Amino acid sequence: MSKPGIDGHWRGGIVVSRALRDAGMELIFGGFQNIDQIVETAIHEDVDIIGMSIHSGAHFAYTKKLMDKLKEKGLKDEFMVLLGGVIPAKDFKKLREMGVANVYGPGTMTSQIVDFIQNNLEK
Amino acid sequence: MKKCKKMDDEKIKREKEKWEKKFEDARERDMKFQTDSGIPLKRLYTPLDVKGDYLEKIGFPGQPPYTRGAYPTMYRGRIWTMRLFSGHGTPEETNERWKFLYKHGETGFSAAVDALTFNGIDPTNEDGAAEVGTSGVPLYCIDNLFALTKDIPIDKISVALIVEPFTSAPVCSMYFNMAKKKGYDIKNLMGTTQNDILTMTVGFIPYKNVPPNHLLRLACDFIEWTVPMGNVPKWHPINFTGYNYREGGIDAVQELGFVFASACSHIDNLIGRGWKVDDFVNRLAFHLSAHKDFFEEIAKYRAARRIWAKLMKDRYNAQDPRSMQFRFHVQTAGSSLTAQFPKVNIIRTSIQALEATLGGCQSLHTNSYDEAICLPSEEAALIALRTQQVIADETRIANTVDPMAGSYYVEWLTDEIEERVWDYMEKMEKVGSIDKALSTGWLYKEMRDAFHKRQKRMERGEEISLGVNKYPVPYDEVTDVFRTNDEAMKIEIERIKNLKKRRDNKKLENILDKLRRVCEKEENVMPVVMEATKEGATIGEICDVYREIWGIWEPPLAI
Repeated sequence: MSKPGIDGHWRGGIVVSRALRDAGMELIFGGFQNIDQIVETAIHEDVDIIGMSIHSGAHFAYTKKLMDKLKEKGLKDEFMVLLGGVIPAKDFKKLREMGVANVYGPGTMTSQIVDFIQNNLEK
Repeated sequence: MKKCKKMDDEKIKREKEKWEKKFEDARERDMKFQTDSGIPLKRLYTPLDVKGDYLEKIGFPGQPPYTRGAYPTMYRGRIWTMRLFSGHGTPEETNERWKFLYKHGETGFSAAVDALTFNGIDPTNEDGAAEVGTSGVPLYCIDNLFALTKDIPIDKISVALIVEPFTSAPVCSMYFNMAKKKGYDIKNLMGTTQNDILTMTVGFIPYKNVPPNHLLRLACDFIEWTVPMGNVPKWHPINFTGYNYREGGIDAVQELGFVFASACSHIDNLIGRGWKVDDFVNRLAFHLSAHKDFFEEIAKYRAARRIWAKLMKDRYNAQDPRSMQFRFHVQTAGSSLTAQFPKVNIIRTSIQALEATLGGCQSLHTNSYDEAICLPSEEAALIALRTQQVIADETRIANTVDPMAGSYYVEWLTDEIEERVWDYMEKMEKVGSIDKALSTGWLYKEMRDAFHKRQKRMERGEEISLGVNKYPVPYDEVTDVFRTNDEAMKIEIERIKNLKKRRDNKKLENILDKLRRVCEKEENVMPVVMEATKEGATIGEICDVYREIWGIWEPPLAI
């Protein structure tokens, strides 16, 4: 779970992190990381999912950077990418087309995220 | 008189017992009746619940203990300042929005800055480039301040600059230098700097800021230079912003506990510098939330005024009555808004604005209904402004002072909150001054616990959010999404390039060297930061000096 960029809204990332841990998942909380650091951590820790918490409105920019980096490293299909934060519902479709598995906007219940991961990760 | 009241009380008590017995089995819904902060509530409040002496505890507005209001006539004298927190894209676009709102009756400005301005990062720095102007207005150098205030009479209307201790000196010195260059005497300038240590530490987490003890010093440097040193004496050099951490999920009692504990740490610091409390305390201001619990919020404002008056009088021995006046801005609760069926947010905001005005705020921001999704569109911002204007001009609630006083429930709740805040402050004081509460991680644990408590309440349906956990509807795709200018980064990089060509880089380098020496010592940073921004220093250049001398702080976050 990382916060790309410099925006400091931290509640969402912490709440989701705790929920995933409580559901028995192993979680690495990266805090602020740039895209290079996120990808490095993902490789080094051999994670299944990269989660990005974005409240700055810059979700397209950071998603593009992440996807470009993964492509560059030949890791495009290695990780499930999930996004959460203040992201307009109108943008979900485009983000999915860019390769994001799912997007969680305001008002999401953490159980929805846990269910999605449990139902989709093995597939 | 007293004897008479006692006899009345006994009679009421007897009758109340009879009534309780008679309706013992009357139906009540199966739920816990309590306030948002967990104060258990009785079925009914009566004169028996209002304890203590009226003159001592409630009194009259404009005099201690100020429970009924900071000023004797309150809104009969002047309506609260309608101050919408506003900023996006570039300073030019923000200026357009400000003028639009001004034309429609706004009476104060408030600059919402972007994440780079909060964290002292230039747009030329890769770290934050993608976020230029996305969550507020970029204020990186003096040229941005000229653009922001173009054609705005800053000698007649007050401006709030929402920057925190890490960047309050550079951004506000740019503002003061801009005003001087325009020919204004900054001794007459009116405005506010948020300068709140907790906003960019626990409200938001800081990106490459300096350790809390240095943030506290920077906050106090700014207060000292503007007010007791007399450089900008009409300015409010700090606004203790309970709002921002309340948004994270702490309750009304904690909100007041945080702001008062923080205020005491700043006052102690300034007293340590040799100032007297009456030299500066009357310019300190507060910024509180108006959240979901209608009566609890009103009682909170009333309790806050009484606590502050007691704190200043009893603990700090303030002599000037103005030092005991608690004055505050309110923002309606952004975290209560939903992205699901967002038009309902207009109703939520109206009710919260009513709390603030019935509670006697000095200035008010009302949220736009689209703020759970994006920065406010022009139409949404205008509706938010109109919400305040309906209350001020159509409802007549402003025609008498503190109309909620005398409600058995409100007076009881005011007492209850006051008592709980004193207890919470005592707990905080055991941890130490506010910078210690940060560096030891104590405040992060309080915040974390609040995050999880709120989330659990939402998921269990104990706290209701219509559209989300009751009568749920899909996340709205219909609402228009206001997009910030995606050229902002290019525009701001260009602006800084031009500035760097124009300025005397050698001279500036010497000034920044001087700043290094000042930072190493215990001298006030403001005079040299004023000099630096006048010569065209950018926010990143100044904050890099802070980082170089004091180091970067990693907050002890708790999950």
